[in-house]
Amino acid sequence: MNNGMDSMMDMYLFETNSLLEQLENIMLEAEKAKAFTAANIDEIFRIMHTIKGSSAMMEFDSIAKIAHRVEDLFFIFRQNNTTDSFSDAMRTELFNLILKTNDFMRTEIAKIEQNEPISDNIDNFINDINTFIEKLNSGESSSLETAENKKKDTSNTVTQNGAFLQSIPASTAPYIIRIVFDDGCGMEHLRAFMVKNTIMDNIGSNFKFYPEDVETNSETCNYIIDNGFFIFLEDEALVDSAVNAVKSSLNIASFEVISNPTAKAEKHKAAEITAVASEISADIAPIQNKASKKVNSAPAANQQSKQSIISVSLSKLDSLMAIVGEIVITESMVTSSPDLKGLKLDNFTKSTRQLRKLTDELQDIAMSMRMVPISGVFNKMNRIVRDMGQSLNKDVRLTIIGENTELDKTIVDSINDPLIHIVRNSMDHGIEETAAARAAAGKEPQGEIVLEAKHTGSDIIITIADDGVGVNPEKVLDKAKRNGILTKPESEYTKREILALLLAPGFSTNETVTEYSGRGVGMDVVKQNIEKVGGVVTIDSELGQGTCITLKIPLTLAIVDGMEISVGKSTFTIPITNIKQSFKCNHEEVIFDSVGNELIERMGNYYPIVRLHNLYSLETNVTDIEEGILVWVESSDKSYCLFVDSFIGEQQVVVKPLPPYLNGFNIKNAGVAGCTILGDGNISIILDALSLHTAFMNSL
Amino acid sequence: MKMENNITEELFDEDYDLNEAEEIINKYLTFISADLVYGIPIENVVEIITNPCITSLPMVPPYVMGIINLRGQIVPIVDIRKIMNKPATEDVSISCVIILEIDSISIGVLVDIVLQVINVPNKVSALPSKNLPFISGMTNLSDGSVMYTLDCDLLISTK
Repeated sequence: MNNGMDSMMDMYLFETNSLLEQLENIMLEAEKAKAFTAANIDEIFRIMHTIKGSSAMMEFDSIAKIAHRVEDLFFIFRQNNTTDSFSDAMRTELFNLILKTNDFMRTEIAKIEQNEPISDNIDNFINDINTFIEKLNSGESSSLETAENKKKDTSNTVTQNGAFLQSIPASTAPYIIRIVFDDGCGMEHLRAFMVKNTIMDNIGSNFKFYPEDVETNSETCNYIIDNGFFIFLEDEALVDSAVNAVKSSLNIASFEVISNPTAKAEKHKAAEITAVASEISADIAPIQNKASKKVNSAPAANQQSKQSIISVSLSKLDSLMAIVGEIVITESMVTSSPDLKGLKLDNFTKSTRQLRKLTDELQDIAMSMRMVPISGVFNKMNRIVRDMGQSLNKDVRLTIIGENTELDKTIVDSINDPLIHIVRNSMDHGIEETAAARAAAGKEPQGEIVLEAKHTGSDIIITIADDGVGVNPEKVLDKAKRNGILTKPESEYTKREILALLLAPGFSTNETVTEYSGRGVGMDVVKQNIEKVGGVVTIDSELGQGTCITLKIPLTLAIVDGMEISVGKSTFTIPITNIKQSFKCNHEEVIFDSVGNELIERMGNYYPIVRLHNLYSLETNVTDIEEGILVWVESSDKSYCLFVDSFIGEQQVVVKPLPPYLNGFNIKNAGVAGCTILGDGNISIILDALSLHTAFMNSL
Repeated sequence: MKMENNITEELFDEDYDLNEAEEIINKYLTFISADLVYGIPIENVVEIITNPCITSLPMVPPYVMGIINLRGQIVPIVDIRKIMNKPATEDVSISCVIILEIDSISIGVLVDIVLQVINVPNKVSALPSKNLPFISGMTNLSDGSVMYTLDCDLLISTK
């Protein structure tokens, strides 16, 4: 049962979170369009209804209550079918209110995830929403309960058990159904409300019920426990369908149909019905009891069958990935086993080819399972730009390009915070303070931030560009000097190095700390987080024209196709995607530049030769250019020829990150991307063509 | 860990009697590197392995020997001799690596010989008079030799 409860909780959290996300997106979209479409309203209504229902079922009372009020709010819109009549102020208030509510629910859900108690202090929210509803309703009398009649009703709820009929308000309805819920099932008032809804679905709203404010007033709970929940029916014909509706409801211990003593007419008829009904109730009760025990798992099961998507815990996926990785390695071990050397095995080769195809497929599927579109993270930025735009009074448009780009789930999670930092920085420091300042600089009054994601081979490139004021290199250098983070004389800094200072710890160009940025930790944290997933951060900026921050992140951390090469006793892996060509050359082809560096001509261009044994100070017997092999590698705009001893072979390798201890040695800049464990248990170092080039340039 | 500044003359060994119950006893794993005895807090020690196959890394300080494959986990290895600015050992037939876990960072230290586990009362440790690298304290042992306590936190900081 505990297990069932856990999975139900997981389902609840998953579902509620995605609903809230959906809600936020709708709200932001609608805000941009400045109106709700009827579809939007229906959708929000549905979302709130679902959250209300499932929260009540999971006994998260406060969430259910808030959701209910929001549902009420949108019910009004649905009836009026429009929000066009709103004034601008009213609309802004509405959006703020709903987004605030959304945030509140999210924090509550987060609390539930952390196993913390959720806050009961929701009066402010309820009041805010109620005030808003009242504003809307001023003039028209609403079908919704207002705060006043809540109080009126609760004052007379303390009643003796048994004397329940005296406790209910006098009614002219000839038939009353009294419903008693299971002992200790909890949330009786909301269950009662659900029964009411079911009846309403069956027979329409042509009936009354008591207590009337079950949906909003949790105190009615006690009354229902003591006396039951009452349905008043005007017409005998309605009794049967109402009884059916009650039967189909959950957690009901018993119910009975009573003729109303205050309605004198047709008393005898009613008595008959009572007799019949109590028979029914006797039949029903055991069934209901049995059913009620299964109630808790039932809704989750229903939802599951509806969805074609299931949620799987990430740890399971991780272990799946690990196993797939091992299978890929083992497959290589088997097919390239030294025992097979020199044998001609047709059938074996055929089978291994089949095996290779299957493991490739398996690997692709396993990888794709972890891939999620980046849109989730990107869409959050909409909200940040909106909120900050309001509080900083800046008019900024966020343009999102390539939000369907997919990448590893763990990477998506880890770029969330860095992106928030960067977008906040752009909003706060990047975009000009006023539209007038922008106009003076010859730009259009509305600022723009462009978020873009795209694939380039094995990496994903995310750029965050704003058309704001840009970075002033002199100011940066000055500030860095004051903060004492310069490592060489000021005059020696190139523009690129100056911009890189922005990423140094303890640096912030903004003089004052604001709510959003300026503690000088932002960009530092961005760099750290991105490096954690093997990425690189670069900043480009033109003073007066804007800033562009580029995050280069590996698509996945898992498996690459690599070429194993050897230099002396060491083995290295070069990702196949980086290799353009490999060839032998003779002495005549090598030419020297003015300072004696070796160059070679390939397809009309000259490329430097990087001798890996020199660069890494490795001992090898192969130093003659004619003995070894040149590997022409290319990464982004850097292209060069790597001189190595020999090729070992092509292999798929599982990338293992280097131990965190080594990050302190700047090993990422030495051309090392990671390492991998070969079939024989030895370690091969995976080379990063781009940073290897940097290391080579630095070594000159 | 708070160290006190007075050196107690009292000598002890691993059989040191625990008659002072309140005394905090720290356990150390001792090893020899370049004829000096060092101690590592036992709670940081994971295991001891011999003759691992070390893959060297490019462009790292000389004391970083490289990385090893420890049952699928990649662990960096540092040479205590090189950290302490001592000459490399001539005897290359056997190498002993103590795998440590410090703040959930795994690291292996290459040493000459692993000795034993000893108990050291907290107060019998003192700060070294000289500014020795990676040493957080020194202690006299029962046989009259001196044990240097390795500063684990400093070991994993790469500054």
